[in-house]
Amino acid sequence: MATEIVMPRLGWTMEEGTLVEWLKHDGDTVKVGEIMFTVESDKALNEVEAFEDGILRIPPDSPALGSVIPVGGLIAYLVKAGESVPFEKSSTPAAAQSPQQSLATAPSQPVTIAPTISSANGHVMPTISPRARRIADELGVDWKTVTGSGRSGRIIERDVRAALSQQAAPAAQTSQPVEISPVARRAAQELGVDLNELGAKIGDRRITREDVEQAAASRSSAPVSPPTVGDTRIPISRVRKITSERMSASSQITASVTLTTEVDATELVKLRKQLKGDASAANRPVPSYNDLLAKLCSVALAEMPMLNARFEGDEIVMSASVNIGLAVDTERGLLVPVVRDVQSKSLRQVATESAALIESARAGSLKADDMRASTFSISNLGMYEIDAFTPIINLPECAILGIGRIVPKIVVVDAENERTAIRHMMFLSLTFDHRLVDGAPSARFLQRIKQFIEQPYLWLVG
Amino acid sequence: MRELTFTAAAREALTEEMARDSRIFVVGEGIGVRGGNFNTTLGLYEQYGPMRLRDTPIVERGFVGMCTGAAMTGARPVVDFMFFDFILDSLGELINQTAKMQYMSSGRLKMPIVLRGSIGIGSASATHHSGSYLPMFVNIPGFRVVIPTNPYDAKGLFKTALRGDDPVLFLEHKLLLNSKGHVPEEEYFIPFGQAAIVREGQHATVVALGSMVRKVQEACDELAKEGVSIEVIDPRTIAPLDVATVLQSVHKTGRLLIVDENFGPCGIGAELSAQVMESGFDDLDAPVMRLNGLHTPTPYSPALEAAVVPNTQTILQAIRDLLAE
Repeated sequence: MATEIVMPRLGWTMEEGTLVEWLKHDGDTVKVGEIMFTVESDKALNEVEAFEDGILRIPPDSPALGSVIPVGGLIAYLVKAGESVPFEKSSTPAAAQSPQQSLATAPSQPVTIAPTISSANGHVMPTISPRARRIADELGVDWKTVTGSGRSGRIIERDVRAALSQQAAPAAQTSQPVEISPVARRAAQELGVDLNELGAKIGDRRITREDVEQAAASRSSAPVSPPTVGDTRIPISRVRKITSERMSASSQITASVTLTTEVDATELVKLRKQLKGDASAANRPVPSYNDLLAKLCSVALAEMPMLNARFEGDEIVMSASVNIGLAVDTERGLLVPVVRDVQSKSLRQVATESAALIESARAGSLKADDMRASTFSISNLGMYEIDAFTPIINLPECAILGIGRIVPKIVVVDAENERTAIRHMMFLSLTFDHRLVDGAPSARFLQRIKQFIEQPYLWLVG
Repeated sequence: MRELTFTAAAREALTEEMARDSRIFVVGEGIGVRGGNFNTTLGLYEQYGPMRLRDTPIVERGFVGMCTGAAMTGARPVVDFMFFDFILDSLGELINQTAKMQYMSSGRLKMPIVLRGSIGIGSASATHHSGSYLPMFVNIPGFRVVIPTNPYDAKGLFKTALRGDDPVLFLEHKLLLNSKGHVPEEEYFIPFGQAAIVREGQHATVVALGSMVRKVQEACDELAKEGVSIEVIDPRTIAPLDVATVLQSVHKTGRLLIVDENFGPCGIGAELSAQVMESGFDDLDAPVMRLNGLHTPTPYSPALEAAVVPNTQTILQAIRDLLAE
């Protein structure tokens, strides 16, 4: 058999060489060790000797002198006497097929797919890849009915996506790919929250654990828990029901922001003391702090009517009268009687009316009319030693003022001379609806209230 | 842009850094006047002299130990093993001293030593000159393991290795040494732990190491004709290993194949597959697959040698198998 003579590798890194000179010629007899030709590699000129005896046969299409030949490239043959030479039988050189050619002719293997895997008891168990299972969960596809196209019938991603278009309409409605954090997914599984339902509610953004927990909490408010020994169950009262509806409506509808500030109420305390100590008023109601605040709020609201506004259809209505709702805690629950037209009433009138309203609220004789048409509310938790809180807007009002306790504190009254004093301090918490009014005007409003508390003469003028 | 071979690019990194930092010196067999068996130090002896290009006797444990000591005292040695296989003779020093010294000194001592050598199967180098032994070193805390696959990366990663303070194994695949590629004139560094996405695709991810990157690319060219697009990732450094890039890719494709000519058991493919399973399980649409060299000493015979390493055709088949899962 003819022996191929190829470009030898003459160094570790040699990849090609140049054929420089033939020292033997086509048809010459060569012996082991005789030099046949020279090659130039990246380092030097090399002599290439014969490893076998034989007759050198150089094909007509052998590389020309001076040409660059890759290592392993065919140059010539050594044949025994009488042996045929490959290039004389066929014009095709005996060089190996290029990998590309052999690849092109390699038939691609068809994949056989078993529909499903049967378990020992004959129950049919489809297998599914983790990715396909995840995507099925996200898309709400019931994969147990899907036919798999992976090896051994494994359900893979494309099967789930194909199934999505075929499955029932309810699935299609919630078929938006739901983005969810892994923690949230785990929480959803633990709490039994339907992710598709939640995803539809949440829209485009990624579902977080908080969303899942909220969904679980809101669902658990429904009477679905099984009866437990020792629990007390009471029917929901009408007041509770209305409060519940109005509070959740407010927290869902409004864009509420709460501002807090600390106020020096010393002057207001003095004012109240004087009013209380006035002998001539002995038989008449002494204005409470709520009354004082209702009155001074009415002055501030008249100056800044945006805080006394409400939405009505496509319009914002700035109410001409200031009707102030007073949050009253009663045995039946929270009631908010309304003192009307505070802006045009004297402080004494306001005190008289509010005293009557609060009394009938506590007695349970408040009329529905007494609780209508408020334009601003005040909620006072000072008697429970509360400083600041986040009141919920009493719809359709724009804002509500939360009153904290009045408490004596050591405060800096003159920083320059390093003077402190004991002053009666109080926190105010104003929650406003950012849909109606911006932060800055609301802050200015609260600042004005603060000013009125600290300098009561300013609003006595009316 | 100019083109350099892999070796010339790495050599340029070395000579630039030697010019900049006189604490860098090179030891090895035949790296002085001879310029290195693989031309790794060609021309440097004339430039930097015998003190900084120090030929050694054939005693790996000895000169690795001395270089470890030199690094502890503030020098920055480069050990040129010629064939990486012979690092095995110095494992006692390397694993017990070189890799642990920074830890044992609570960071007071640095270990800025670069250990370089040629790796890989594919030039009939026979079984003592064809090893890579990557996973062994990745398994040891303390080593950085770098395996560039083109001239650009070779220079940028070698520069980073020479500037760092940790022991770096710089592995140069024999089949890549003469490959040419663009290398900019201006200075640049390639940080460790950042894989390169050498080809973007949709249908599967293939992580390829060393000379396999080029072969995988050829297989992907073939598949592209059939409309199959494969994402190919070259990790560039194995320690640290950029698993995040692989996870990101698997999130997109759902399928992963690791092509590595090294032995399969406890190899990089095993490690990557475990990490992807741990952190990307829900992204997998098929089992992670590996294509490794056969678990056998490397034969000398070129025909047998070719049979023990993945080639374009076996890679093509492995990708087809993965896609059929």
